[in-house]
Amino acid sequence: MEKGKKLQIKPYLYLLPVMSFLLFIFFFGLGTSILQSLGYNSDGGFQSVTMAHYRDVFRSSAFVSGLLFSLRTSLISTGIAVVFGVGLAYLMMRQKKEWRLFRALLTLPVIVPHLVAAFIIFTIFSQSGMIARVGVLMGMIEHPREFPALIFDRQGVGVVLAYVWKGAPFVFLILYQVLRSIHGDMVEAARNLGAGGKDLLLQIYLPLSLPSIFSTFILLFAFSFGSYEIPFLLGPTAPRALPVLAYVEHIQPDWSNRPYAMAMNMVLAGISVLLVWIYHRVFKLFRRHHWEERSQ
Amino acid sequence: MNIRTFVCMTVVLILLLSVGCEGRQDPETEINPAEMSWEEILEEAQGTEVRFYGWGGDQAINDWMNGFVADRIAEKYDIIFEWVPMNIDEILNKLQGEKQADARGTADMVWINGENFYTAKTNDLLYGPFTESLPNFHGYIDPEDVEVKYDFGFPTEGFEAPFGKAQLVMIYDEERTPNPPVNHVELLEYAKQHPGELTFPAPPDFTGSAFIRNLIYDIVGYEQFIGMEADEDTVREAIAPGIEYFKELKPYLWREGETYPATIAQQENLFADGEVRMVMAYNSNLVAQRISSGMFPETSTSVIFEGGTIGNGHFIAIPFNSPNKAGALVAINDILSVETQASKYDPENWGDLPVLENSKLSEEERRIFDEVELGQGVLPQEVLLENRLPEVPAPLVPVIERIWMENIVE
Repeated sequence: MEKGKKLQIKPYLYLLPVMSFLLFIFFFGLGTSILQSLGYNSDGGFQSVTMAHYRDVFRSSAFVSGLLFSLRTSLISTGIAVVFGVGLAYLMMRQKKEWRLFRALLTLPVIVPHLVAAFIIFTIFSQSGMIARVGVLMGMIEHPREFPALIFDRQGVGVVLAYVWKGAPFVFLILYQVLRSIHGDMVEAARNLGAGGKDLLLQIYLPLSLPSIFSTFILLFAFSFGSYEIPFLLGPTAPRALPVLAYVEHIQPDWSNRPYAMAMNMVLAGISVLLVWIYHRVFKLFRRHHWEERSQ
Repeated sequence: MNIRTFVCMTVVLILLLSVGCEGRQDPETEINPAEMSWEEILEEAQGTEVRFYGWGGDQAINDWMNGFVADRIAEKYDIIFEWVPMNIDEILNKLQGEKQADARGTADMVWINGENFYTAKTNDLLYGPFTESLPNFHGYIDPEDVEVKYDFGFPTEGFEAPFGKAQLVMIYDEERTPNPPVNHVELLEYAKQHPGELTFPAPPDFTGSAFIRNLIYDIVGYEQFIGMEADEDTVREAIAPGIEYFKELKPYLWREGETYPATIAQQENLFADGEVRMVMAYNSNLVAQRISSGMFPETSTSVIFEGGTIGNGHFIAIPFNSPNKAGALVAINDILSVETQASKYDPENWGDLPVLENSKLSEEERRIFDEVELGQGVLPQEVLLENRLPEVPAPLVPVIERIWMENIVE
């Protein structure tokens, strides 16, 4: 690779005004949160820096159960969303017809705000919701209450449903384009060499779309791990997902509670960063391993 | 792309950003309303803009603010009145941030009460005292009334003016519940008869929290809480029989008491769907509104405990950095007028109880209130006011909520 090229600074210069504005806001907010979590008194007097609030956070049982709840629901919902989305994208890509309208409808949930998604899931799946009532009408259950409790339950089924409903179409949207762009010459060449459907899928489509699959996974996971509206509206009263816990602590009118809320937020952010980092290493490892295997 | 284009782009960007910082027409910010006569304040406020920030979660209230209140103030005082819906925690955060950054404010009036007033006042976020300057405050309010002097047990000291009153009521469907329970014993019985059909929103929801406190009052009485220290052990001991009751009640509740609706709106949905048999509301006129909108069944009715239910007042305060204090004073004074309080009391608009002292009203003025049609299922003012219990001191509320969460849910 030619190392003689001069580093182009022009693009960075052009981006500078917007970037400095955005970065300033980001780092100012982050900085204030860190300071507050260390006990900085918002009135202006800097009280002693203390890790006591972090200690309180880790000691709280609500925090630990909330962390597990968040991890579980985010992992499961993102996993299901990716599997569904990729599967749908693959099937759709194989079609001869364009199916434009159908595809547009499939991707509608992407533009629906999360609050509305929570309401939709509530209306359909709650014990007095649409499916329960249809079940009674059709005689499958006697009374709406016999319908399984999918919302507000301790497993977070309603939460998972909502995230899958929002996430799968998103994955579909991205992966469909990626898979479509693979279609063509490479596939023809592979077919010429005798590749069957299964080989095509495993040797060509999957490996080439793997980066997109991984990035949509981490995107959805990070978002669902940190968002609070869906677990707040569809989740149980306990365990509360981490973002909900942080929110509840933050709106306490007693402002001496603020450092505790900020510490929780920082821990939440830290865990997210850690997870993304782990993910990144695993992916790198996997890729290297995979390519090494292939080249043998 | 050359340097000229780059400079142009940056200039455009800066221009776009500064447009958002456009100020609005404000009167002189250095006036001191405390030293002015009412006529001078009226003159100062004329032609200005006033912004009232407050909870916007009830569309009926929003409509009344943007309609009746704004129109009347515009007509009478030539003031542009703007209602800005915003959650109180965000408002307080905003004020706090503005105080730290020494920034200009945008809010002239804030709808506030309870723990939030406590926080705002102890952090010097409010302007005052100002209630003594208002003619209608002198004319219609009794300044010695405990509901005017104290807010959740904390002295108001003239920093907030009464806006309205609320009282907790329970709403049942008369058809399904011909004999609604009127104390905690009957409630437990009713829950045992109909397991899985009663619940209430979990804290930090305001109404759910009040319901929990009301049940505790019914079990251990309320007098001991007046002036109680917000010490966790003291509170824990005081409410212990109440916690025992909740533990007993838990298995008969909806979802076996393992989980609760997160918001009062969800609880209302559950009631409307028939999934639960009771809903509660701070607005004693809510049932009439919901019946006429078709959300609740026609046979819904409100009841209170025979031991009384919690009532509180809500207030209007002026932020320390209000850009138009004269306008705020004029607007608040007008909200204390007979016409506005009667309009607010009308269930067609909001149905919130008036704050004017009955003995200070003339025959004619009293008739205006009597003529307000109460609507279906609503308890009359006298019944409510005779069975009204005070709120616990504000700092106790989060302590009670936490103890309940720890013992019952976690």
